Amino acid sequence: MDGEDECDHGASQLAEAYTNTQSCQTDILLMPRGQKRGRGLRAQSICPQLLEMVLHLQQTMEECFLQLMTRYRQQDLMLEEQRLNLQQRHSQVIYEQEALLIRLMSQLADILQSRSWSGLGLQLPPCSMDTGSNAGGGQGAHSPRHPDQIPPLLSEFKTAFVIHDLSSRGEDISDFYHSEFQAYNAYHGDKYHEDNNTLGFINLSTSENKLCIDLMTKRLSRSDMNYIEDALLQYCDWRGQPFLREEVARFLTYYCKAPVPLDPENVVALNGCCSVFSALATVLCDVGEVFLIPTPFYGGLAFSSRLYANIELFFVHLDSEITGENTRPFQLTVDKLEQGLHEARLKRKKVRGLVLINPQNPLGDIYSQDSLKEYLKFAERHKLHVIIDEIYMLSVFDKSTTFHSVLSMESLPDPNRTHVIWGTSKDFGISGFRFGTLYTRSKAVVTAMSAFGYLHSISGITQHKLCRLLQDRDWIDKVYLPTNWSRLREAHKYVTGKLKALKIPFLNRGSGFYIWINLKKYLDPCTFETELVLHHRFLDNKVMLSCGKSYMCKEPGWFRLVFADKPHRLKVAMHRFCEVLQEQKEELTVRLLEDAQKE
Amino acid sequence: MFTLPQKESRAPTTCPGPATTQDLGSSCDNGPERECSRKPDQKLYGVGDPTATFSSGSSYLSSRGSIIKWFWDSAEEGYRTYHLDEYDEDKNPSGIVNLGTSENKLCFDLLSWRLSQSDMLRVEPSLLQYPDWRGHLFLREEVARFLSFYCKSPVPLKPENVVVLNGCASLFSALATVLCEVGEAFLIPTPYYGAITQHVYLYGNVRLVYVYLDSEVTGTDTRPFQLTVEKLEMALQGAHSEGVKVKGLILINPQNPLGDIYLPGELQEYLGFAERHKLHVIVDEVYMLSVFEESAAYSSVLGLERLPDPQRTHVMWATSKDFGMSGLRFGTLYTENQDVAIAVASLCRYHGLSGLVQYQMAQLLQDRDWINQVYLPENHARLKAAHTYVSEELRALRIPFLSRGAGFFIWADLRQYLSEGTFEEEMLLWRRFLDNKVLLSSGKAFGCKEPGWFRFVFSDKAHRLCLGMQRVRQVLEGKSQVAEDPPSSQTQEPSS
Repeated sequence: MDGEDECDHGASQLAEAYTNTQSCQTDILLMPRGQKRGRGLRAQSICPQLLEMVLHLQQTMEECFLQLMTRYRQQDLMLEEQRLNLQQRHSQVIYEQEALLIRLMSQLADILQSRSWSGLGLQLPPCSMDTGSNAGGGQGAHSPRHPDQIPPLLSEFKTAFVIHDLSSRGEDISDFYHSEFQAYNAYHGDKYHEDNNTLGFINLSTSENKLCIDLMTKRLSRSDMNYIEDALLQYCDWRGQPFLREEVARFLTYYCKAPVPLDPENVVALNGCCSVFSALATVLCDVGEVFLIPTPFYGGLAFSSRLYANIELFFVHLDSEITGENTRPFQLTVDKLEQGLHEARLKRKKVRGLVLINPQNPLGDIYSQDSLKEYLKFAERHKLHVIIDEIYMLSVFDKSTTFHSVLSMESLPDPNRTHVIWGTSKDFGISGFRFGTLYTRSKAVVTAMSAFGYLHSISGITQHKLCRLLQDRDWIDKVYLPTNWSRLREAHKYVTGKLKALKIPFLNRGSGFYIWINLKKYLDPCTFETELVLHHRFLDNKVMLSCGKSYMCKEPGWFRLVFADKPHRLKVAMHRFCEVLQEQKEELTVRLLEDAQKE
Repeated sequence: MFTLPQKESRAPTTCPGPATTQDLGSSCDNGPERECSRKPDQKLYGVGDPTATFSSGSSYLSSRGSIIKWFWDSAEEGYRTYHLDEYDEDKNPSGIVNLGTSENKLCFDLLSWRLSQSDMLRVEPSLLQYPDWRGHLFLREEVARFLSFYCKSPVPLKPENVVVLNGCASLFSALATVLCEVGEAFLIPTPYYGAITQHVYLYGNVRLVYVYLDSEVTGTDTRPFQLTVEKLEMALQGAHSEGVKVKGLILINPQNPLGDIYLPGELQEYLGFAERHKLHVIVDEVYMLSVFEESAAYSSVLGLERLPDPQRTHVMWATSKDFGMSGLRFGTLYTENQDVAIAVASLCRYHGLSGLVQYQMAQLLQDRDWINQVYLPENHARLKAAHTYVSEELRALRIPFLSRGAGFFIWADLRQYLSEGTFEEEMLLWRRFLDNKVLLSSGKAFGCKEPGWFRFVFSDKAHRLCLGMQRVRQVLEGKSQVAEDPPSSQTQEPSS
C-alpha cells in the first residue's frame, strides 16, 4: 500500500487538524538544528519548561486519542453504507492523526532523553533508541493502535513508533516531501480524465504547459532525435557535452538578443533548473548565509535552498497596494531591496546574493530594462551575486509585452557576479526532460559547478535530443512558438473572462502559465488559516490551486491559478472553481445574517 | 592467482604528500588522513579529512564553493591531460591511452544496436511531464523484476522499494545526506573506489573512516586485502575513540579495485557486524553482472535468505558498468526502509532522469532474451579475452597482481619499481606512465595504505590495450634498470 497516494480531501475540520500537524512541524523545521533537539538548554530551566511541555503534550494527546476513537466509531458506521474511497479517506485521516501522535511522543521522548532523570523523579532506564526498530519500521508503524495498548515506558513508546534511521536533515527532507507532495500525490492517484475518471482532480496548481504536448511529441519522434554513438554512452564533460554547450550558447545569444555571441565555456548544463539553483547556492553561499528574494516567489526555490544547500532566503516583502513610488501592485524597488538588506544585516545575516525571477513567478511581471539595471547596480554596490531565473523567457505570449533578458544588456554592472538560469521545462513544456542551464562569466563558478556536474548529470542520449531541439530554429520560430503563444493567449483569455465575470481581482499580465488572483473577499476573517481552508475546499471539489502562503506572500488571500491546460479540462476546472466560491460566498452571507441577528 | 611480493613490504609513509589522483571521471583526492596505529608501521584505520591540504579561496565563491573548486582543480590533472591529448587511431596515434577510467568499451556495438531498435523510440506525453520523483512506476516495476531475477532474490522484490536516479554517485550523495549528520562518517575498507570520498562529501559533508586492509596474508586471512569482522571492529572502535560518529558501512561487491567477490558467509558476517552496532550498510553492486569467470559465483545481498537488518540494508545498482553505459546516467536504490526511500526520493528532484531515458531503460531491462542470449555471453567473452591478454602481459613482466574474475580492472603490485616505498615515488611512477602516454590509476587514489599498487583497466579494444601495455612496459623496463642501481640519494619532490 502506498500511504501518500491516498487522498487528503476530507472535511475542512479534518483539514484543520492536519494543518495543525503541519504548522507544528514547520515550527520545528525553522528552528536552528542545535535547538531543535533541545540539548542546548541550561539545566536550571529544564524542570518547569519540561513540565509545561509534558502537560501540553498530554493534553494534545488526549485530544488526539479522543478524535481517533471517534474516527474509528464513525468509520465502523460508515463502512456499512459508504463507498471504498470514503474508507480510504478516513484511513488517511487516522494515519495522519497517528503520525501526529507519533511525532508528539517522540518529541516527548526526546525531551526526556536529553535531560537527567533525577530532577524529575522519573525512573527511566538509559535506553537505546534503536532497539526493536524492525518492528516499527516502514509500514508497521502505520498500523492502528488503541490507547489501552500504550506501553508504560516512553522510551519503548518511541521505539515502537519511530525508527531512528534518518539523520535530522534526512527527517527534514522527508517532512518537506510529505508536506509538499501530499496534494500532488493525491492528484497523481486520481487524475481527471474526460472518459475514465470525470470525478478526478484537475491540477491548476503545478506550473506545467500542457497545451503543446502534441507538437513536442511529434517533434521528438522525428528520426533525427534517435541517434546513438559511443561518446554518448561514455563518461563525458560534467559541464555538459561540448556540442550541447555550443548549441545552448547559440540559442541564448539569439533568443536573449545578446550584443555579442555568448561563449560555450560559460555554459553549464545540468538536469533541471532546481539542480542548477541547488549547486549554485552551494558554491556561492555557505550554510546559514542568505540570499535576498522579493516575495511572492516560486516556492520551489525555498526547497532548493534548504534540501541540499542549506542556505536561507531573506524575504523582501512586496505590497499589493499601489502607494507612493509603486506604480503597480507588488512592485520591486531599489528602496525595498536596500531596506531588506539593512534588515538582514541587523539580524546579523550574511547576505551573499539576490535572486530574481523574470518573467516573475507567480506575478507574471516582466522587469523593464531600467529596473533590471537598477537592481543589478544595487547588487554591485553591495557586492552581491545576482541569480536571475529566466525560465519563462519564451513564454511571453502577449504581443504588446517585450521581455528583456539580462544577457541582452550592453554591459553588466558586475558580470562575474551575474548568473543566469534557463531551462526547457517551461518554454518547451517538457518538465519531464530534466534540463537546466547556467550562463555565467565567472570561471570560478563554472569550475566549482563542474565539480558538482556528475551529481546532476544528463544522459548523453538526452543531451543529443536537446541539441537537436535547440538547433531547429525553423521549427521553433515558425511552428512551435507561434502555436504555443496563441494557445496560451486563448487559455488566458478564457480564464480571465471567467474571473472578470466573478469580479475577482487579478494581475493581468502577458507571460507565464498562471494568473495571480485575489480571493480576499471570500475570506472572513482574511487570514492564512482561512486561506488554507479555502485551499482545501478547492481540493475537496477536485480542483487544485496554489495558495499565496506557498509563495511566501505576506498578505493572505492570494492564489495562483495555472491556465496552461487543454480547453475541456480548463472548462470543468473553472466550473468547479466557481462552485466552491459560490458556496463560500453563501456561507459568508449566512454568517453575516446570523451575526446581524445576534446584535 | 596472487603472487606474493618479491621484496619485503616496506614501511608505509606516515605522512603522505599532496596527492594527485587520476581516476578519470571519478577523480578525487583522498587527502592526507589522520592515521592511528598500534605500532608505527601498522595502520589499522584512518579518519579521512578530504580538505586537509586546502588553502586558498576565491572571492566569488563561498568557502565550501572554494573547497569544491579546489577538489576539482587539484584532482583533475590526469583527466585534463588526457582530454587535451586523447589517443585516436587515425587522428592522434601518439595520444594518451586511457587504462585509468573504469569503463567497459567492449560492447558499444551491441548496445548501440539495441538502443536503436524501434521499441526504444516511443515518445508519449506522460514521459515529457513532471514525473514521480522516485522514478516512473513502469520502470520501478521493471527494476524490481530485473533485480529479483539477477540477484536471485528468494522472494520477488517490490517496486515501492525502488528509487531511480541519475547514477550511483548521486545515490551516494543522497544516502549520505539522509543517513548522516554533517561530520559523521561511513566505514569503508581500503583500497576502495576513491570517488566515493567526494560523492559523500560534496553536498553531504560526510566523511569516510578507512578500514585498512593488508596485502600480506597473515593470521586468519586466506587472501590478500581480506576484510574481516575483526578489522571492522577495530576501525569502528578507533573512530569512536576519536569522537567520530560512524553511521554506516559501505561495501563494494564485486570489489573495486580488487575485483574480489564476497562469499555469502562473509557477507552475512559483515552484515551481522553492522547489525550489532546499528550501522546502515550500503552495498554497491554496480559490477554484479560483470563477473566473467564462470567459476566465480556471485551472491548479491538481495539473494540472501535472511538479512540481519533489512531496514538498514541499502543496495545500489546501475547500468554504467554492467551495461557499459556510464554516459546514460541510470542508477537505482533498493531498500525496504520506506523512510529512507522517501527521503532519497525527495532529493531526486536534483537527480532526475529524463522520462524518455526511463522508458528506454525499462525496455532494455525487460529484454531478458537479448540480455541472456546475446549481451551477457558476448560481454563476458570479450572481458575474459581482454583480461587474459593483460594478465599475460603482467606475468611476462613478473608483476604480481590479483587475478579475479570480476570487474574491468586488475590490481597490480608495482612496488618493485619504486626506489622507495612512498606515495611520492608512486606518483612519480604514475607521472612517468602519463609522460609515456598511458594513463593508469595509482593506489593512493583508492586510499590504499601501501604505496606502489596500480589499477589497470582492461575493458578496452584490443588495439588500444596492446598499445597501452606496450607503453607500460617501456616505462617499467626503463625504470627497472634504475631500480637495480643503488638507491639514488636525491628524492624528487612531486610537482603538484
